[in-house]
Amino acid sequence: MARDLAIDLGTANTLVYMKGKGIVLNEPSVIALNRQTGEVLATGREAWQMIGRTPGYIVAVRPLRGGAITDFEITERMIRLLLQRVGVSRFTRPKVVICVPSAITEVERRAVTDAARRAGAADAQLIEQPMAAAIGADLPIDEPIGNMVIDIGGGTSETAVISLGGIVALEAVRVGSFDIDASIQAYVRREHGIAIGERTAEEVKVAIGSASETEDESQAEVRGRDLMTGLPKTVVLTPEEIRFAIDDVVSSIIASVVRCLAKAPPELAQDFLVRGMYLVGGGGLLRGLAQRIEKETQVPVRMSNMPLEAVVMGAGHCIEHYDALKGMFMGARR
Amino acid sequence: MIYVVVAVAVVIVVVIGVILSKGGSRQEPGVVSFRKHIDALSPEARREVMDRVRPAKRDDEEPKG
Repeated sequence: MARDLAIDLGTANTLVYMKGKGIVLNEPSVIALNRQTGEVLATGREAWQMIGRTPGYIVAVRPLRGGAITDFEITERMIRLLLQRVGVSRFTRPKVVICVPSAITEVERRAVTDAARRAGAADAQLIEQPMAAAIGADLPIDEPIGNMVIDIGGGTSETAVISLGGIVALEAVRVGSFDIDASIQAYVRREHGIAIGERTAEEVKVAIGSASETEDESQAEVRGRDLMTGLPKTVVLTPEEIRFAIDDVVSSIIASVVRCLAKAPPELAQDFLVRGMYLVGGGGLLRGLAQRIEKETQVPVRMSNMPLEAVVMGAGHCIEHYDALKGMFMGARR
Repeated sequence: MIYVVVAVAVVIVVVIGVILSKGGSRQEPGVVSFRKHIDALSPEARREVMDRVRPAKRDDEEPKG
């Protein structure tokens, strides 16, 4: 008998929580395929290392973009491989709770549940990422007080106000840390005339990227291909340049936080000033982001203890208390 | 004879008790399920998952440090 599973099917990483065991898988949401035969060659970390470095017959892709399935067939195969890796076979069909962005459409919703069912799940339920994040971040959402959570993922950024176990206000934008990487790529191409890959852009973001000025700033050397000569070239990037490059994306995330604050009922809004807002998700790790949100909203911002695992932990809690919490699943409230 | 009367009285009391208790819970299914939902979200209920993940995370981090 397979144990039930909770899956955080993120644009950047996929995490799987197994009932009674904890997190059993944490890997990049990447799959490498043979372009000619359609065979799966690698998934997860191994496939991630192939991005931008493959020969013509191999393609390494992220089947989720902006939190949505861009290729249904590849996603289904990726979910099937994930389930196989955690011990699901055609004879052991578990119940599965999958975290998805709150802004997904009905069609996307059906695509995710169908993909999970075809991949071997007996039942697939969906839960909104900010709700799962709030549970996983250990916020007191069972009490009649305003809890605000900002979940910045690879492809989406969602802000939610939660009280008494339900979402009171919600704001989501299809902008995330991959858009920050893309902004860095575009800036380097435009201002320095060199092309860099998405993994290099991510490394630059991690090394010197920030949303506001921080202490101990340093420069970074970046290697790419000169667009004029086609030869390899090295340029030096400063933190100020990166802040300028990513400012549009950061501003759009902060604007959505402000819109969510404006939607919150006044009784709950006063709680935020005391309790603050909680940042979760990999995008929340961008240096200076918490300080910048705090400065622009005048509300304290706190980092969750486990920002990368909070969503899957919340979904894991839902799978542990499936019957008591099934009213939280997306289909149950319609 | 007296035993029969007592037995019948006991049965009647039990039946009335059962009917009343069922009637009472039927009136409040929303309260019961909402209470269950909120209790399942309490910090005590969440402790199990937190305790399961936190030590595993610490173990993962130790070699890096």
